[in-house]
Amino acid sequence: MNKFATAMLAGVAMSMSLAAVAEAKDKVIGVSWSNFQEERWKTDEAAMKAAIEAAGDKYISADAQSSAGKQLTDVETLISQGANALIILSQDASAIGPAVEKALSEGIPVVGYDRLIENKDVFYLTFDNKEVGRMQAREVFKAKPEGNYAFIKGSSADPNADFLFSGQMEVLKEAIDSGKIKNVGEAYTDGWLPANAQKNMEQILTTNDNKVDAVVASNDGTAGGVVAALSAQGLAGSVPVSGQDGDHAALNRVALGTQTVSVWKDARDLGKNAAEIASMLADGKKMEEIPNVVKFTTPGGNETNSVFLTPVPITKDNLNVVIDAGWVSKEVVCQGVAAGSVAACN
Amino acid sequence: MRLPGTLLAAVLALGCPAAQAFETPVPTFVEETAASGVQHSFTGEWEFMVGGGVATFDCDGDRMPDMLLAGGTSPARFYRNASAPGSALTFEAQASGLELDMVSGAYPLDVDSDGATDIVLLRVGENVVMRGLGGCRFERANEKFGFDGGDAWSTALAATWEKGAQFPTIAIGNYIDRAQDAFPWGSCTDNWLHRPMGEERKFAPPLPLKPSFCALSMLFTDWNRSGMPSLRVSNDREYYKGGQEQLWRIDPGKPPVPYGPKDGWKPLKIWGMGIASTDLDGDGYPEYFLTSMADNKLQTLAAKPADSAPKATFSDVAFAKGVTVHRPYTGDEVKPSTAWHAQFEDVNNDGLADLFVAKGNVSDMPDFAKKDPNNLLLQKPDGTFEEAGEAAGVASVETGRGAALADFNLDGQVDLVVVNRNGRTQLWRNLDAGSGNWVGLELRQPAPNVDAVGAWVEVRCGGHTTRREITVGGGHAGGQLGWIHFGLGAEAKADVRVLWPDGSQGEWQPVEAGGFYELVRGQAPRRWAPGR
Repeated sequence: MNKFATAMLAGVAMSMSLAAVAEAKDKVIGVSWSNFQEERWKTDEAAMKAAIEAAGDKYISADAQSSAGKQLTDVETLISQGANALIILSQDASAIGPAVEKALSEGIPVVGYDRLIENKDVFYLTFDNKEVGRMQAREVFKAKPEGNYAFIKGSSADPNADFLFSGQMEVLKEAIDSGKIKNVGEAYTDGWLPANAQKNMEQILTTNDNKVDAVVASNDGTAGGVVAALSAQGLAGSVPVSGQDGDHAALNRVALGTQTVSVWKDARDLGKNAAEIASMLADGKKMEEIPNVVKFTTPGGNETNSVFLTPVPITKDNLNVVIDAGWVSKEVVCQGVAAGSVAACN
Repeated sequence: MRLPGTLLAAVLALGCPAAQAFETPVPTFVEETAASGVQHSFTGEWEFMVGGGVATFDCDGDRMPDMLLAGGTSPARFYRNASAPGSALTFEAQASGLELDMVSGAYPLDVDSDGATDIVLLRVGENVVMRGLGGCRFERANEKFGFDGGDAWSTALAATWEKGAQFPTIAIGNYIDRAQDAFPWGSCTDNWLHRPMGEERKFAPPLPLKPSFCALSMLFTDWNRSGMPSLRVSNDREYYKGGQEQLWRIDPGKPPVPYGPKDGWKPLKIWGMGIASTDLDGDGYPEYFLTSMADNKLQTLAAKPADSAPKATFSDVAFAKGVTVHRPYTGDEVKPSTAWHAQFEDVNNDGLADLFVAKGNVSDMPDFAKKDPNNLLLQKPDGTFEEAGEAAGVASVETGRGAALADFNLDGQVDLVVVNRNGRTQLWRNLDAGSGNWVGLELRQPAPNVDAVGAWVEVRCGGHTTRREITVGGGHAGGQLGWIHFGLGAEAKADVRVLWPDGSQGEWQPVEAGGFYELVRGQAPRRWAPGR
């Protein structure tokens, strides 16, 4: 009797999943946002929603409003609303565990969106942070192939800081080994605060008697602190500086020539890819079968399946890319820029 | 034109945004900073991004709470309470001997049980026990008490009297190694446990509490009602490596042991900044509110077996109770909040404990709200809370750190002081705590431990019992000693009883609403009236 019942149930489950595979349309993709009122996620959502609806599926979402506690109940709500796959932008990676486990135990695939979720069964989609680091170093290296380099890293509490730095080092290793480039100072930036980056940069300048030829800064906020420190010594504009995020102020610095590069991650790419991956997983595709998938070992030691998107380095020569994408207005980018000095500002 | 019903409802709802309906009486706090005579700022950079505590206690015998405000790079400042009972909050700065610099926090504690409250100053540098001499004068007593003040970045304190001890046990929380300002991560320094030296009335050399994870608040609390308080430690995950929240078993005469998985303890990683506790659900066990960045936590025992001692497993009910208070509730900022001091007090005298939370950005942290209003969460009869910070008038967006809720003018309505980082300390007088009744209680027993730290006070009225554990510790970098306030709601009388720290049970004894009573061990409650 028992045996029979189990077999029956298994049979039902199998025919249900077959039906799901056969019927690619009308799936429900549930998206849990950490804090949707933050402006930057609106772009991601638009791209995500467009891709989900274009595939004939349904987009449902919840906003945790920065609360890890609310996000746990949000995910449960999305599950109860019939989500066939979940995309989760976690508020707190250390707290989201129980909700993710619940989804997985019900056979609902989960895509960790932009922020890592420590679970080997969660698919991880983000931009390639190591590549961001490589791009930062490459652009600075192009501008200054030899000399004294300083490295302004992110917060040591953020694992991304080390991914970025390892990418930077990968590009510069040869020049460092051959002695063309000298590492004259590196510092982590507590809280990624521009003020702390400035303080660290001032210290490196003092230690080296201002003999710093290039600065690899890990994001635009810290780059802002670096440029402030360089300005105080009359060095801004002559010392190449990297960054990332496409901050409006940073893009203006790129146009003005005080920052060399801001590596930009196009949120539309991220949103679209997440929708497509979630849809494929909901259709029963294995995580290992997702196009461009790679194995990624997390800082917590989990081997996850991941897709890392390639960002775009924005320099003086391609500022039109961010303007044309509607990321930032020409007025903002070109404020105070001398006529004729930057193509995108003409 | 006739509007469809639903549309009409929407228009009406939008039309009166101010008409937020509250389910509990909202108290009226009026800011009296300017006229109060208190003019003080907690100042400093990196080493004072945390701290900024306030201690309230009585040192001149008038039983009105005086206060000491940590100053950071500025000297700490003592203010004598010069308020007339029931009137405006008035303080006078007075030289007390407590005016040291580099003070991050302060806790009142009668170390030598002589009836004159002493003050432990937490500092960036040497901690100092200041012995009360009476008349609000204090003198250094590290040598007299054998207290090793160390040379750390001290940020937390908790005190208890272990069973049979003549002298207190003091736990000190130490933060980052301040020499590591270029790379503070993973440099958490050891917390110290100062236990009595045998039968002597002095401290033994401190015992390091290993491992330590950058503590910002500590509390000795009898979480399982075993009669032996354990040490809860709330830790800042920004700087520790491999750390978590902690609970230490401190059994008399034995080395401290951290609770672990075999005891049911579950790892929790937060940016722990402050601890508030009270028995919210009336089951006899305390709940713990832990402040952090973004979500705050409210922990309750996960299981309470009737036939055995509870395991050290806590579940988080903050979201269910409406106290995650994870981002500003006023203004247009959508980034998460940063919470520091928290304290349960009944601010509207309806008989239900309310919760105040001081808020403020660490220091231009770009991912967190800059204008971060303080919370005043009123408990509703169903045990959930509603935000009344703005309606009550305490929604300051200064950079809050330490705070104290205390009835400064002894009118039966709990007032408020908040220390702001690099900004002026603010005072609010509670002008209208609603129509509810109240009593103020103070415990007394023979030495040692004259203030009965570790006792439980129970107040029974209207068919239910509320209770509070008498503790020294918790909050953010500051504590209170003095009248213990109970709101009574509509009840005109109550019965009170004390469970003394040694486990003996006092009798239930009647008190009348609207009075201050001394509860001296073995005696009937003695009514006391303010007057000068």
